[in-house]
Amino acid sequence: MDSLIVLATLDSLELVNSFITRATAQVGLDDHAAWQVQLAVDEAVTNVIQHGYAERSPGTIDLSWQVVEDQLEIRLRDHGQYFDPQSIPAPDVTSPLEERQPGGLGFFLMQKLMDDLHFEHNPREGNLLVMLKHIPRPVEGVSLFSLSGRLDAVASQQALERPRAAIAGGIRRVLLDLSEVSFMSSSGLRALLLLRKDLLAHGGELRLCGLREHVQEVFALTGFTQVFAIHLSREDALAAFGQR
Amino acid sequence: MDITHTRYNRVDLLTLSGRLDAASAPQFKQQVDGLFDQGRYRLVLDLAKLEYIASPGLRVLIEARKRARDLKLTDLEGGDVRIVNLPPRIKEVFDLTGFTSLFEIFDDNTAAVGSF
Repeated sequence: MDSLIVLATLDSLELVNSFITRATAQVGLDDHAAWQVQLAVDEAVTNVIQHGYAERSPGTIDLSWQVVEDQLEIRLRDHGQYFDPQSIPAPDVTSPLEERQPGGLGFFLMQKLMDDLHFEHNPREGNLLVMLKHIPRPVEGVSLFSLSGRLDAVASQQALERPRAAIAGGIRRVLLDLSEVSFMSSSGLRALLLLRKDLLAHGGELRLCGLREHVQEVFALTGFTQVFAIHLSREDALAAFGQR
Repeated sequence: MDITHTRYNRVDLLTLSGRLDAASAPQFKQQVDGLFDQGRYRLVLDLAKLEYIASPGLRVLIEARKRARDLKLTDLEGGDVRIVNLPPRIKEVFDLTGFTSLFEIFDDNTAAVGSF
């Protein structure tokens, strides 16, 4: 998290932009989402500069950001005149040129570009605008393999053929869904260990999910519950990639 | 933001580059109004090098086209503001705000200038 205080003048827009660019890079938003946040904040700050404060006596704008769960939260506080943008009608973006109102697009864009925004006002602390943008989890690039049946000495060789080939081909994030595996022998376990070792040697990440009770027991008895990253569901496992 | 002006016989071409936001919109508006004030109402805006646009820039665009179209150059022809080259980020803003259907948009400078 970080914060910035600027004078509410147009000269400050550049400072605000670099502040937001640093924030979006730090939380790992991609270029497109970073641009969306930058434009939305630019619109919000421009609103305060042009409508919040009287032109001759600009006040200040406090900006801060933090990550709240899986969202980037940007807070913008000012002490200008209170204005509720929700009180003006949304522009009709389908109307022809003759009927088109030139204003109102700033708030419209803020709504389109952010996942959520809300306004608060109180006489002591001034106006607060909170803007939220979802930070996508890095699930890209995870290869999922569903194993089934008995994982013993013979069957595990065949069952792990595809994941092994994928790793040899450059895949680095592997999720094995074991929910259809009915039996696991110590040889099957050893085969999984070898796969894990191979993947880790390449800087990769292996996760398992959906273990049935009997299979879970084999992991627990042999102490391998601690060695493998084991998750209840695919979703949990996918969300955990890249979070080490 | 930088604006380059190319004057053709009947048409003026403004090439915009950089950021068109609240800080630079007045400069852009001044240039457009300056042309209008000289009776130059056939305008092509080349946005190929425009990196960024915010609502104050959109406002100048819409007001410019309204003003140009209100002027009758002859009984048959009014002025106009036409656009050539929309980079992806600018196009996205145009799509969100319905500007794509508010303007005649070309992808070739010669065609845009020749359209008048």
